[in-house]
This record gives sequence, structure tokens and C-alpha cells, in this order.
Amino acid sequence: MAARGYGRARRWSVVVALVAVLASLPALVGALPADDADVGAAELRAAVLASGGVGFSGYAVSAGGLALPVGDQLPAVADLLSDRSLLRVWWRGPDEHRVDVVSAAGETGVHVDAGGTWTWEYESATATRTAPAALTLPAPPDLVPASLGRRLLSEAADDELSRIGARRVAGRDALGLRLVPAAPAASVARVDVWADAATGLPLAVEVVAVEEVGGDASLPALDTRFLDLDLTVPPAGVIAFTPPADARVGTGEDPAGLLREAADRELSPVRLPVELAGLGRRDVAGAPAAVGLYGSGVTLLAVAPVPGRLAAGLRSTLTAAPDAVTDELGTRVAAGPLGLMLVEPPRSGAYVLTGTVTLDALADAAAALPGMTS
Amino acid sequence: MIGVELSKMFRRPRTWATIAVLNALPVLVAVLLQLTDLAPRPGEGPPFLSAVLTNGQLFPLAALAIVLPLFLPIAVAVVSGDAVAGEAQAGTLRYLLARPAGRTRLLVAKLVAVLAFVLVTVVVVAVVGYLVGTLLFDAQPVTSGTSGAGTSMSGTPLTPEELARRTLLAIGYVAVSMLGVAAFGLFFSTLTDSPLAAALGALAVLVTSSLLFTLDAASPIAPYLPTRYWLAFVDLFRDPVLWRDVVRGLALQGVYVGVLLTAAWANFATKDVTS
Amino acid sequence: MTSVIVTRGLVKQYGRVRAVDGIDLDVRAGDVYGFLGANGSGKTTTVRMLLGLVLPTRGEVELLGGRMPRAGRRVLPRVGALIEGPAHHQHLSGAANLALLDAAGPGGSRRTRKHRIAEVLDQVGLGGVGRRKVGAYSLGMRQRLGLAGALLRRPELLVLDEPTNGLDPQGIAEVRELLLDLHRGGTTVFLSSHLLAEVEQLCSRVGVLDRGRLVLQDGMAHLTAPTGATVVDTPAPERVRSVLDGRVLGTSGERVVVRGTDPAEVNALLVGAGVPVTGLALQRPTLEEVVLAAAGTSADRVERA
Repeated sequence: MAARGYGRARRWSVVVALVAVLASLPALVGALPADDADVGAAELRAAVLASGGVGFSGYAVSAGGLALPVGDQLPAVADLLSDRSLLRVWWRGPDEHRVDVVSAAGETGVHVDAGGTWTWEYESATATRTAPAALTLPAPPDLVPASLGRRLLSEAADDELSRIGARRVAGRDALGLRLVPAAPAASVARVDVWADAATGLPLAVEVVAVEEVGGDASLPALDTRFLDLDLTVPPAGVIAFTPPADARVGTGEDPAGLLREAADRELSPVRLPVELAGLGRRDVAGAPAAVGLYGSGVTLLAVAPVPGRLAAGLRSTLTAAPDAVTDELGTRVAAGPLGLMLVEPPRSGAYVLTGTVTLDALADAAAALPGMTS
Repeated sequence: MIGVELSKMFRRPRTWATIAVLNALPVLVAVLLQLTDLAPRPGEGPPFLSAVLTNGQLFPLAALAIVLPLFLPIAVAVVSGDAVAGEAQAGTLRYLLARPAGRTRLLVAKLVAVLAFVLVTVVVVAVVGYLVGTLLFDAQPVTSGTSGAGTSMSGTPLTPEELARRTLLAIGYVAVSMLGVAAFGLFFSTLTDSPLAAALGALAVLVTSSLLFTLDAASPIAPYLPTRYWLAFVDLFRDPVLWRDVVRGLALQGVYVGVLLTAAWANFATKDVTS
Repeated sequence: MTSVIVTRGLVKQYGRVRAVDGIDLDVRAGDVYGFLGANGSGKTTTVRMLLGLVLPTRGEVELLGGRMPRAGRRVLPRVGALIEGPAHHQHLSGAANLALLDAAGPGGSRRTRKHRIAEVLDQVGLGGVGRRKVGAYSLGMRQRLGLAGALLRRPELLVLDEPTNGLDPQGIAEVRELLLDLHRGGTTVFLSSHLLAEVEQLCSRVGVLDRGRLVLQDGMAHLTAPTGATVVDTPAPERVRSVLDGRVLGTSGERVVVRGTDPAEVNALLVGAGVPVTGLALQRPTLEEVVLAAAGTSADRVERA
């Protein structure tokens, strides 16, 4: 039977070998060991915070599990936090960078310069100029691992930090740094930041929510990381933006102004307590006095009064959310680590509370608001 | 041998009928678009279609985007599925092999002929798209200075040369994207004597791939799906060009062609030809 | 004398069915070899194995001195073949079909192609067909075109499977003349057929296949050699028996078979005895008789087990 097959088995084994080699290549590349370095957690945090001036260009993917119940009011923000976004980043510095959110058939580019921000939307051919503001809604640049990592670590205390080895991100050695917030109100279980060993630039960030707000250690509420990274400073021409001749050009609204407007319309400005849910009040430059910000680091709580008309709309949106909790304090809902609560005290205007705190902490805070205490 | 297969491919009336049908859809879309002036809402419809109303020179790209998801792969599946199985069904395969046309050479020649078909088809779609686009819609005036022939997706102006260069790249990329389908069709074509079965096999792979691509549960294998990077030709119109998916798309198609051609060879080299 | 086709212990098994079961063909240069067998006896499979289309399960094939299928590229250009009916591209003309086939393999010079095509088209009687597409050809015309394809490179060996299929009687005679003509020019012809008459008229050697086995392979002259008996036609068979007592081998109607290799001697005896003789011949078996004797029942007959 020697002649049988005429090398058929040999040829098929070539095919199988070829497939095996090709199929295992990605796994082999992925299994390249990462070199850890003997860097302490505090030292690594310092390196991360100092990396704002590191120029780079890269391609990042951000996957959010934050299904905010504000899809109708703020669709751009809801998409950004709940979907998989692909980001192209060119970074020359904190006030000179560009982040494009790339979609299958279009893109949204955010070009930041010293004088403000150009936002370009290809599909509607609109360019929007926004002035710098202290308070802004989440925007694509906030999800870039480098910015997000710096922001989340900026107020971390040394005893909240620990080192967690190293891994390879975008083909570079990244050192792991874990932040476990100490505040009991925190809805964030931990934040893992993987920073470039050479420059301190955060290459990947994972935010995991505590279990009581539906957190799952295996499924981060927010996961953003670089897929490609090039540590050469991109040319300024790539970042600069001039609206094309046939584009609609507009001016963006300042969300802080909106808030102030809302707060000013309240007949009797309320005095917010200095502490809510165990979190101390903090000052934020540019924020209206009626808006209260509490906490620090990754455990933050914002309280803002809302006009009655807005409150009614918000109430119907919130109660429509499947896992909303409604009691005598108000309606609250959690989207991953992000809690949102509408409080309508009997003897004053409505408040909206939002932040990275647990639902219980939201309830505590609500109970302590002026107008609630009888 | 390759010349023979090319000659067979392009002297066949069916080849040109397929190309004609393939062009009918974009032309229909263009006419409807011109008559109703209703562009698809941003984020919906094929890429570039909404931009066509203001710049007809983008219609070749919109035309490619229209035929890319379904029409083009069907045509390629039918033609590639016919490659060997069609000869087997007609009985000409036995004469070719007894001639003798080496089996491996025959496979390569068939693949080249299918490639030529893909390239000609894509170029014809683009050229017809250009003619229809400039005829039915406004072409942006080509002026000197900063304002160019078009705008990239990133909002930067493109010179006419740049637009033409990128359009050519896109045509090439779409053609290469079809290689995987062609390789599947050719491989199935060596398994069966029925060209219909081979074409359906290739289409089944495509449908599966497109379906899995939309499924989150299949995301671990998504980068290996043959249709994964098809739309990456859009990335050629960003500024700077986003090469990542384009390069991956090219590599992936190369891998599919390599593996499937090897498999086709492994099967066909000693297959009993009884048709 | 060199052999152009040799097979040794050729076996082809499809699953549990043995289509070809250990055949040893021997076709020599200059033969017109008739490969006879009923439908389904394994003829086509054998022809395909000769040409490297089907690979043997066991055994070997030598074609023009080369071991198939490995030597295919070297020897097949010197072989012309018509396999199980002609097949062409319907949308092309006959000449275009021939040109494509010629260009598809080695050994067909591009320079002489046009000339060769015109020549073979004349040879098979399609010289005047012009640019008509094959789709519009009649069955006989397609058969002729298939034959033209086989002849295109003036092959040393012609392997023809049922070459007269679909031809009218004149066409069959024409093809027969053509093959004999080629044979005189030195071409070896391997003719596979189920038509006994065709083989009997053309072939110098015969192989008979029965259910995958080669049951007979011999020269035509030897197979139909005189049996040593004489056939006598007479209106009075009973009188023959009385005259040639003991030499009569059998009687059927007015025909009597008598032992004896010399018809003249038999004639003299009978005429001397006054027996009327209307016909007299040496007995030769017909090919049909030989084949029926060698092969069993028809292969497409399915008996109850």
C-alpha cells in the first residue's frame, strides 16, 4: 500500500502545519514576557503624574460598561462611556493634542490647543469651537489611557497604592499600579494602571466597580488601553485644525454656564453641607457656588440643584431604568461605579446627585441635604 | 496557462453580464439620490454616500461601499466557485489535465484569473461611479490654493492628486479584500464538481463571518474573520491615513489566500478526476 | 517491439467497490488496440488511470515508457485523448477551443498553432465550420471537434474512448478511415469501445474487460483463427451426417459443422456422394463469440443474491 495516497497525507500535513503556525503566532506574540522593574508604587505614581509632557501618537481602544440612563439627553457622553471606542491620539502636551474617535464610516476629532477646543464631526461636517472650561462633560480625550491614568492617580494616597507586576501593552513593558480607594463610600473597587516602564506614560487603565453596584472583577466597568504607541512627538501640523471651507462652524456651550444658569434660577440659593456621606466638600475653580463637589481621588460626589421642569424629565428617565431604586429619599440608579440620584425634598427644589459612590452613600448624602431634614 | 485562463474568463459573456449587474445598483442609488436629494442620516447608510451630494467625485468610493458588503463578494464567490468545478461540470477539466496542464499550475492560473476578474470589476465599478458621480452631482471646483478637491474624514483638505491617489489605493484595497472570498471559492471548487455548491460554500463562509463579526461573543475570533477589515478602505481617507487596519486587512487576506491555496493544492494534486 | 502502454496489477477501489481489479494491459507500438468491455466494466476508469486523471489504488501504469502519473508532463504531450465524449467551452468557436487547449500545456508551439488547427479541422471534416460557437454544434460535430483536439499535436499514441459516439454511419466510416490512415502513419491507437463491430473492423489486438478484470488479451488474428472445422451449408444436412460419419460436430438448420481444416477435401467428399453444397467455409469464431465466451453476463445486470 506504499503507493496509496500519493503524498496526500504529506500535503495535508503541510496545510495543518501552516495553519498551526499562523494560528499560534498571535498567541506567541501575546505571550512575550514583560520585564518588571524594581520601582515602588509611590515612585511609579510620581512618574505617571510627570508624564503629561511626554509626546506620543497612538491608537487606543476604550471599552466602557457604563450604561448611563441619559442616552436621550447626552447621547455623545452615553456612547462614549458605554461603547467600544477607537481613539487615535496625537499628544504634544496637555494643551496641544488631538483625539479622533474613529467609527466605521466617520470620525469625530477633538483638537485641543491653548485657546480652546475644535470638535470636528465628519458625518455632519460641523466644526465646533469651545473655550477652555473648568467643568466639562466627558470627552474623548478623557478616555485616552494616558490622561485617564494620570487623572485617576492624581489624588491617590500612598497607602491606597500597590504594585501588581508587569505586562506588555502595545508592545511595550508596562508596570502595574493598583489603586484601592480607602473611602467607605467608594463605588470603585480598584483602578489598575499600567504605565510605560521608560516614560511613566499610562498605557492601560482598568476600572473595576465594587460588587454591590453590579461590579465584576473579571469585567471592568471601564477598560482603555493603547493598541499601538509611538513615542515620537507628533508634528504640530497634525494637531492644528482649520475648519474646511464647506463646514458648518459653531460655538460650543459651556456646561458650567448652564449649571450656573440652572442654579441661579433657584429662588432661594441653598447652603450645602460641608460633608456628605463621609466625604468632605472641595472647591473647584469655575464651578458655581450652588454646585457642591465632595470627596477626592476616584471617590467623588457632585450635588447640583435642578429646576423643577428638568427634574420631572430626569425622574421619568431614571424610573424607566430597569434597576432603579425609588424610595422616600428619591430615585437612584447605578451604572457601574457611577451612581446617579434625583432627590426632590418636600420643602425645597430638586437636587441631582452623581458620582463614583455606592447607592448607599448616595442615600446617606440625600438624607443630609437641606430640606430633607425635618 | 495564465493567459489561457484569462482569455477564458474575459471571453465569457457571463463575466461581463456579472460586471454589468454589479454596476446597476450604485447607478440606481445615484439616480435615486439625485432625484430625491435625500442623503442618508449621518452614521447610517454606506460610507461616503452622504458626502456625495456635495462632491460627486466621491461617488466611486460610495459605489464601492455599496457593492462591497454583498454584491461584490457574491460575484467573486460565483466566479471563483466556478473556477475548477465549472470545468469539471463541463467536462473540460479532464481534457485540460490530460493535455497536460499541471494541476498546481492550473490552480494558480485559476486564482490569477479570478484576481483579474476582481480587479477589473472593482475598477469598472469605480470608473462607472466616477462618471455617474460627476454627471449627476456637483463636482467640487478644483481651485488652486488650500481648498482642494475634497475633504478628508478628519476635516483636512485633499488636493486632487491626493484624492486620486487615495481612491486608487482604496480600489486596490477593495480588490485585495476579495482575495479571501476568491480563495474560499477556489478551495471549495476543488472539493466538488458543482460550481453552484462551491459558490454557496464560499457565500456561507461570508455570511458566517459577517454574522460573527456583529456578535460580541465571537469577539476573540473577530480579528481572524475574513470580512473583519473589509471596510478599512475608509481609513485611507482619514488624515493622517490610519494604516493599522489596512495593513492587517492585507496581511489577513494574504494568510487566507496562502492557507486556502495550500489546502486546495493538497486536495487537488491527487484528486481523482471522474467528471 | 516496444510497449506504449503497460499496466501491472492495476487496481482501483472506490470504497468497497473494485472498479478495476488487477489488470495487466500491454499495448505495443503500432497496435490498433481494441479495449472492449460492457458499460460499467471499468473501461473508463482504466482509461482515466492511463492518463493520470484517476490515481490507481495499487499497481502501476507506464505510458510511452514513463511512469504515470509522475511522468505526465513529459509523456502526455505526445498522447492525444478523447475521454468519455468531447467537452468544450460552449461560448467559443471550435478553433478557439482548440487554441486554448493547445496553449494550456507544453508541446504545442504557438507559431504553428494556427496552421495545425486548420489542418486538424480539415482532417476531421470541420474545415468549413468557421466561427460558429460550439454551443450550436450538432453531437456529431462535437465528436469530430473532440477528435481534432486529440490529433492536434500529431501524437504518437491516441487514446480514444468511444470515438464514434453520436456519429452517423458515414461519419463512423470516415473516422475509421482516418484512424487507419493515422495508424499507417505510425500512430498507435488505443480504442476503448463497447461496439464489437467497430473493434473487429479496426483493431489488430483486443483486450476484453469484464467487471474490472481483463479476461482476454490477444491478437485479433489469433482470436479469430480457424478452429479446425469447416462449415457446410446444405439443404440436406442429414445426408452430410451419413456421408461424413463421425466427423460432424454439430448441425443447426441447413448448416453443418464438420471436422477438417481443408474445405476442398470436405467438398470433394460431399459432392462425390451427391450431397448438394450451397456454401463452404473454414470455421472462424466471431469476435462476439470470443467475447461472450470470455466474459460473463452483462455488467449492468443486477442478479438477486
